[in-house]
Amino acid sequence: MKVGAPKEVHLGERRVAITPSSAVQMQKLGHECIIESDAGLAAGFSDEAYKEAGVKVLKSAAALWKASDIVIKVRDPIKAEQKFFRDNQTLISFFNPADNEELLKLAAKKGINVIAMEMVPRISRAQKMDALSSMANIAGYRAIIEAGNNFGRFFTGQITAAGKIPPAKVLVVGAGVAGLAAIGTATSLGAIVRAFDVRPEVAEQIESLGAEFLFLDFDDNQGGAETGGYASPSSPEFRDKQLSLFLKQASDIDIVITTALIPNHEAPELWTKEMVERMKPGSVIIDLAAEKGGNCKLTVPDERIVTENGIIIVGYTDFPSRMANQASTLYSTNIRHMISDLTPNKDGVIIHDMEDDVLRGATVTYNKKITYPPPAPKIAAIATPKTNKSTKPLSRAEEKSLSDKAFKTATKLQIGLLCVGGLLMLGVGSVAPESFMQHFIVFVLACFIGFQVIWKVSHALHTPLMAVTNAISGIVILGALLQVGSSNFLVLLLSTISILIASINIVGGFLVTRRMLAMFQKS
Amino acid sequence: MSSGIVSAAYIGAAVLFILSLGGLSNQESAKRAVWYGILGMAIAVFVTIFGPGVYNIFLILAAVLAGSYAGYFISGKVQMTEMPQLVAALHSFVGLAAVFIGLNAEMMLNSIITLRDSGLPMNSSELTGFGEKLWQKDYIEIGILKAEVFLGIFIGAITFTGSIVAFGKLAGKLDGSPKKLKGGHYLNAISLFACLILGWMYLNGAGIWSMVIVTIISGFIGWHLIMGIGGADMPVVVSMLNSYSGWAAAAIGFTLGNDLLIVTGALVGSSGAILSYIMCKAMNRSFISVILGGFGENTGPQMVVDGEQISIDIDGVASALNDANSVVIIPGYGMAVAQAQQSVSALVGKLRDKNIKVRFAIHPVAGRLPGHMNVLLAEAKVPYDIVLEMDEINEDFSNTDVVIVIGSNDIVNPAAQDDPNSPIAGMPVLECWKARQVFVSKRGQGTGYSGIENPLFYKENTRMLYGDAKVSIDALLPKIE
Repeated sequence: MKVGAPKEVHLGERRVAITPSSAVQMQKLGHECIIESDAGLAAGFSDEAYKEAGVKVLKSAAALWKASDIVIKVRDPIKAEQKFFRDNQTLISFFNPADNEELLKLAAKKGINVIAMEMVPRISRAQKMDALSSMANIAGYRAIIEAGNNFGRFFTGQITAAGKIPPAKVLVVGAGVAGLAAIGTATSLGAIVRAFDVRPEVAEQIESLGAEFLFLDFDDNQGGAETGGYASPSSPEFRDKQLSLFLKQASDIDIVITTALIPNHEAPELWTKEMVERMKPGSVIIDLAAEKGGNCKLTVPDERIVTENGIIIVGYTDFPSRMANQASTLYSTNIRHMISDLTPNKDGVIIHDMEDDVLRGATVTYNKKITYPPPAPKIAAIATPKTNKSTKPLSRAEEKSLSDKAFKTATKLQIGLLCVGGLLMLGVGSVAPESFMQHFIVFVLACFIGFQVIWKVSHALHTPLMAVTNAISGIVILGALLQVGSSNFLVLLLSTISILIASINIVGGFLVTRRMLAMFQKS
Repeated sequence: MSSGIVSAAYIGAAVLFILSLGGLSNQESAKRAVWYGILGMAIAVFVTIFGPGVYNIFLILAAVLAGSYAGYFISGKVQMTEMPQLVAALHSFVGLAAVFIGLNAEMMLNSIITLRDSGLPMNSSELTGFGEKLWQKDYIEIGILKAEVFLGIFIGAITFTGSIVAFGKLAGKLDGSPKKLKGGHYLNAISLFACLILGWMYLNGAGIWSMVIVTIISGFIGWHLIMGIGGADMPVVVSMLNSYSGWAAAAIGFTLGNDLLIVTGALVGSSGAILSYIMCKAMNRSFISVILGGFGENTGPQMVVDGEQISIDIDGVASALNDANSVVIIPGYGMAVAQAQQSVSALVGKLRDKNIKVRFAIHPVAGRLPGHMNVLLAEAKVPYDIVLEMDEINEDFSNTDVVIVIGSNDIVNPAAQDDPNSPIAGMPVLECWKARQVFVSKRGQGTGYSGIENPLFYKENTRMLYGDAKVSIDALLPKIE
């Protein structure tokens, strides 16, 4: 089939959906590739380069849309392009289906099958087509570069003959793909990087990149796993704590990169006016959420502004486009993988399998019907952290009734045991002479103390416990000592032997216990 | 020294013994606790030797010194891996001493009764402390005394032979598998009955011969009982024998009318009983079924394990460890056998230097003695605060990158949870298969002690590292960087 990439008409868009190398790969799948003249120019790919790769170059967009069975694009189609839609055509592009109901309806009406690249589900198998991540990666990197461009100092601290330069302190808010890319870039430039995210499980990833995770001590930390690895809106209490944490950081930080986006929501305000006012003049804020209203409300989308106190706020929304060559390479690879999934037999024939989790998830119109939003994928995106249901806090009343019950059964058991024990004692006492009873009381009390004491012995010390009880059971030596004076030779012999072996027991047992216990040490 | 001072000293000694056991509630106070025990024992022995009614001091000192030297020598030489057999051997001494003292009591009773009946006054002959007490006993008290002698000898003899068998099995001198004579437990029951009859005859005036026969028969019971119990149940057996040695001492205490012996014996007896209970609970088996030996009857065919055991080489394990963030090590008896604890400790040190979170998971019945693994790890200088119990760590396995199982088998067997027909069904186990990756260091493909197939070895995330545990881990060490 014919795969065609038109020139992007969106203002300032430099990316292109096909590169010469991705074209070669797609031809191997049995497709024919076409491109509109000069489509790759802004990204650094000339028509000649495409021709060399076997791509046919067409003069106009109209001709390209007409010739292509599959149209691959970067931005969602504008009005002028929408009129080219035709039945049974496939469009693979960013489409923004959440905010584009009219466009969806039009596409369905015209019968074009649309695969929206931002809808690719976040499962391992689909990572190779996850264009959002590839673009976010670029945005994160570029955000640091842009910050460096606007920031008047080095990132890395240096001590030079001309004086000491402190390192730049960078705060990255939101450790998604973009945030992590920004952290990695900033640390490799030598800055001191701190990062924050509402999902505590990303702390490890943050630390692995060499940044410090700003820990927010809050019980209700949200896991991102159930929302497919994306953040979800936070509770007001959580937000308050978070803002006070940021407020403390504001006066210390030189560069702030905010990347907090919540799917299908306006960007949350995380960097307030107050924080901006606290920052030192010359500090830089890069707001990667500018397109969705910005994490800082002072941000002006697509512009770089300087506040009264000299803070530079950059609200560009086209970071990937600013690195058009790199972005096109990555994006075209994502597209190419998508097409390769669409042509499972590598024979140039598209099989749009709506049973496939990935294709189903990304398809927003199919056979004249709107198929957005998709059903939940069959495979959970990320293993959900195990929450232990049984430890779910019981209500006070339940807890009380439970403990009451346990208390009652324990009381019953104890009273029962006491009664039985008492009766036994009475039974023994009624026949045994007093001299025996005296010893018997001692015996029973000792057993009782033994039970009370031994339950508290820690598990790790069971072996020393055995050794020490073994040593003190050598107390039988007393019996032998009291008998050894007998005039009977046999008694004398046996008790001497008893003394001997009991001594071995006592000394051996205690010394070995001491040896064991001396080994236990704390780290 | 007057008998009042002796009694006061005994009270002090008893309190010190209680403090000594109580101090074992945590590692730090335990270091003090052992000194309480030593002090208590020293006081008790000292006041008894220099108290009233004790003669032949030189003979006593000679025996005490010889015994002490032997004990010192043994305790200095023994390896920590040999701890189970040492404890068992020492138990046998207590049992034997109890038997001797019981027999002595009977012999002295006879001679003193003859003396008393001849009409001489008490102070006319030099009586020992015990002899004086005997002199004063009336008819009923003598009956009770005889019952106590019988109990002391009976329990003592069982402890003696049982401990010798346990020692043999633990030291590898006897085959560890359960063995029974023809007749099995009926033989034990008959022997027990015979002992009771002989005891009854003894109470009714039969001579010392009846007690000698009781010694022999109960010795047989002890031997036969422990022979029938397998090596994996040894933690229960050893703590049970520990308990018996205590009860024997208590019985002797009654015989001699010595309260300190009674108190100490009762402490030791209850301690052993609780330990046995804890061990049985950890294996989800009743005490009776352990003592009667072998596993319970199966109710149906065991689940068939399919798949194959996939092996891995040292490099594979090393790279997984190098990439891991958290590691849990599950040691078992195999680690003790291979003497691998030092190598394991070195491995832990290296991993911790890399900021990898390393912890140990200890199953209550790992090894052959309660707390056996803890002692071995402590010997290898593994800090005790990273050594965790089963309940503390079982929930963490799902967040663990790598689990290394060193020489344990039944305690990590998922069949205990999955297969209701498994002989170990219901036994709490370490759920290590929930971790991302499990490495099992094992000598060969054989089954563990219980002879049960372990489905863990066939799981997708399990890799087998065949070979001696110490050799494997030593080879692993240079590859961790």
